Amino acid sequence: MNVTRLIQLGFTLAVLATGAGQAHAHNPLCLCETSDGEEIRCKGGFSDGSGAPGVTIDVISYEEEILIPGKLGDDSSVSFQRPDQEFYILFDAGPGHVVEVDHTEIPVQ
Amino acid sequence: MKTVATPATPHPVRRFWYRWRFHLNILLILIPLGFMPRYFQDVALFRGESGLGQREAGTVDVGPWQLTLAEMRTLPPAEAGEAGFFKQFNAALCEGCSEEVKATYLRIGKPRSLRAAGALFFGSPYRMSTNLPVPTNTKDDALVWVTMEGWDGTVHQGSIPLADASPSTLAWLQNQGDAQ
Repeated sequence: MNVTRLIQLGFTLAVLATGAGQAHAHNPLCLCETSDGEEIRCKGGFSDGSGAPGVTIDVISYEEEILIPGKLGDDSSVSFQRPDQEFYILFDAGPGHVVEVDHTEIPVQ
Repeated sequence: MKTVATPATPHPVRRFWYRWRFHLNILLILIPLGFMPRYFQDVALFRGESGLGQREAGTVDVGPWQLTLAEMRTLPPAEAGEAGFFKQFNAALCEGCSEEVKATYLRIGKPRSLRAAGALFFGSPYRMSTNLPVPTNTKDDALVWVTMEGWDGTVHQGSIPLADASPSTLAWLQNQGDAQ
């Protein structure tokens, strides 16, 4: 095995080791945005790059009333009209796997 | 008359290299040896022989129960791509609590509901672990809330200042604010 092959092997092992660490992380994420301030689009998933089709995502008022119950579509996203009151979005992939997005944190694109 | 070509005498440096290059093998032993102290420290940390974590934050009273909280490492939160920043905490339930406690959650800021109680601890009740999401806009005086759910259906909460739970996280947040 020459030196070039040895370096290639070392580099490959380093990449695999790095990738293993990243694949281990499985933190939920939910990114919401709005283009006109009225329709909000949220996309859910996990930090390892996997999607979350079918996962529950609810729009909930500050009084804990579910305003818009929903589930993510096949593309792991969902769109809904902005409620008239204060609210937060709850991406709920199970106990401990939740992400809250407050309505004040939704950027206008 | 024949002439015999004599090989040119190699440069002394080249001769030295050819003579001694094989002794570089010694590095294969010496380099790993340099990493051994760090390796054994990590093994002790992961096995719990050096404590619950690198820094024990204290005990949090949560209703009738107590939870001992510790930072796994005294490092700032780690970035997990678009999911944001996460800080690993370890925890141990009090003596006799493990039979009564169904689930333990950790969250920065008071949870809005049990459904949004935060990150769930997993593992042995003597040494549970979780990754706490740390929003970059967290205030300096924020509290880290512990929510515990019992098998009898009761829910209890307690809190500890973030400054006590993780000074390294607080320092990181303050540096973030300075950078912005």
